[in-house]
Amino acid sequence: MEKALHVDHLCKSYKRRIRQPGLWGAFKGILSSQFEEVEAVKKISFSIKRGEKVGLIGENGAGKSTTLKMLTGIIVPTGGELEVLGLIPWKQRRELALNIGVVFGQRPQLLWDIPVRETFRLLKTMYRIPDEVYEVTYKEAVKRLSLEPLLGTPVRQLSLGQRMRCDLAAALLHAPAIAFLDEPTIGLDLSVKEQVREFITDMQDKFGTTLLITTHDLKDITETCDRLLLLDKGALLFDGSLKNFEKKFANESRIVAELQQPASPAALRKLSEEMKRYGGRIITSEGHRLVVEYKKSGSAPALTQILLKRQKVADLTLEKTDIETIVTRIYRRPSKD
Amino acid sequence: MRALQTQLTPLEKLKSYTSLFVRSLKASFAYRASTITSLITAVFMYAVPLLLWHQVYKQKSDLAISQEKMFPYLLLAGCLNYALGMSVEFRIGQRIRQGLIATDLLKPVDFQIAQGVQAVSDGIFNGVLGMMFFFSGFIFLGKDVFPASPTAFLLFNFSFLLAFLIQYLICFVFVQGAFYTYSGYGIFAARGALQQTFSGIWAPLIFYPGFLKTAGEWLPFRHTIYTPVSIYLGWVQGNEVFDLIYQQMAWVIGLYLLGRVLMVQSLKQMEVQGG
Repeated sequence: MEKALHVDHLCKSYKRRIRQPGLWGAFKGILSSQFEEVEAVKKISFSIKRGEKVGLIGENGAGKSTTLKMLTGIIVPTGGELEVLGLIPWKQRRELALNIGVVFGQRPQLLWDIPVRETFRLLKTMYRIPDEVYEVTYKEAVKRLSLEPLLGTPVRQLSLGQRMRCDLAAALLHAPAIAFLDEPTIGLDLSVKEQVREFITDMQDKFGTTLLITTHDLKDITETCDRLLLLDKGALLFDGSLKNFEKKFANESRIVAELQQPASPAALRKLSEEMKRYGGRIITSEGHRLVVEYKKSGSAPALTQILLKRQKVADLTLEKTDIETIVTRIYRRPSKD
Repeated sequence: MRALQTQLTPLEKLKSYTSLFVRSLKASFAYRASTITSLITAVFMYAVPLLLWHQVYKQKSDLAISQEKMFPYLLLAGCLNYALGMSVEFRIGQRIRQGLIATDLLKPVDFQIAQGVQAVSDGIFNGVLGMMFFFSGFIFLGKDVFPASPTAFLLFNFSFLLAFLIQYLICFVFVQGAFYTYSGYGIFAARGALQQTFSGIWAPLIFYPGFLKTAGEWLPFRHTIYTPVSIYLGWVQGNEVFDLIYQQMAWVIGLYLLGRVLMVQSLKQMEVQGG
């Protein structure tokens, strides 16, 4: 399959002025010229094929948005190489713009003072969208994102959620070859998030759009993507399918038991020692609730038997670690720096 | 899957800029209260030089330019100043500061031209209000406010178009500083001060002391107001008119190229604010 984009040892660093705290510090900051170098993206490499659906995740400040800005040609990399649809983004920005759709969750691309409909019309001309394509994308967006009542409203009068829906529609009106969506569900309520995800998936199915989504809501990824890139402090920590991600990082499962009576400290100690032999570890014991975590696959029957033998159990469930928990754990790992 | 799109043809670009122009013009009417406030401010701004000069002529009537010539000049300079009012630095500065510049750069159109198109919509909106000043001046000054001849009027129109381009390109060159300072305010103030001083809004350059006059002649600002008004009123004739128009054209080309070079540099080092 044809490559949609290719990134090789991509870097971005920038200088940040060092500011001292307090009023005097702010005053000194005007005169001082002390800077520190911040490495936002550190030699990352990956490729995405046409039609792939990729999620880009990472903590705040991990370099997700910076990567997206380089891929869209807004900012210039400080090192490495990148090619999007055969173009060098920052050198051929305008040509690339015709073929990509971008949502920056916190930056509306709609014209602020005039009704939403007007921006859509402008985009139709600007991206020379053929009538037959516009007919489909416009109608689909209006229907799927419930935009009809918003079309005549000036953008500045829309709520964040309403604006986000309109912005997403605007980014996909020209059925772009690649859609870069930076936090497309930020500030949306649960039902609208669902609407947005369905719309993205439908548009992807219809037009074969390559998707690159950054988000903090992992449901955006699990419901729309099949590949994951994990950035950690500017470096690429994982690149692979969601299944492989779980395989690699979800090496722990849990037994969650609801006890008939809270276990005594002595009983807990004994239980803990016994479970250790089978790779189990009690991680929570709060009142009636007891959670055992285990790493070794195949340990569940033995651990369950021990639990049932030692305690009176009212209810018991086996939980596989979900993707959100895995990511949270990765974020919480102590830094190697 | 849609086929990959290649660059827009010149006709498609023209259509895009026209569409953007129409939307910008509509946006100009969005803030009625602000429009009225700026109109009142403009009336005040252009009434002050008239009142000042009225006082000067009361005390000393034998100046290099007679009162009959000076008042039409000041009236037209005020109208032009208003028509040339554009929010380029404010608009771009604000977008740089808030990181919204990112969405401008994602459009498949030229940033410098797209901003120019928006400046034209500012100009048309302000131009209509400038015409209102003109007609109010006509009530007081009568036919003295008319052009010196039909040819002068024709050449004035051409000179005014060039003045508009110069004004926009000056703003565009200055606003490049906002890519480094992340605020358009200081730049707006600096350009505004130079503009007020050297454009001829307060007085024709002939009244300026030597060094200021020389500086004014070497800078592009006088070509935004003094030059078109002088042509309109017939203060310059024959080849002198064409000399001034050629100078204006040279400034348009020079400032356009300077703006482009600076823009390329600014965008190369730009950091989008706000993550």
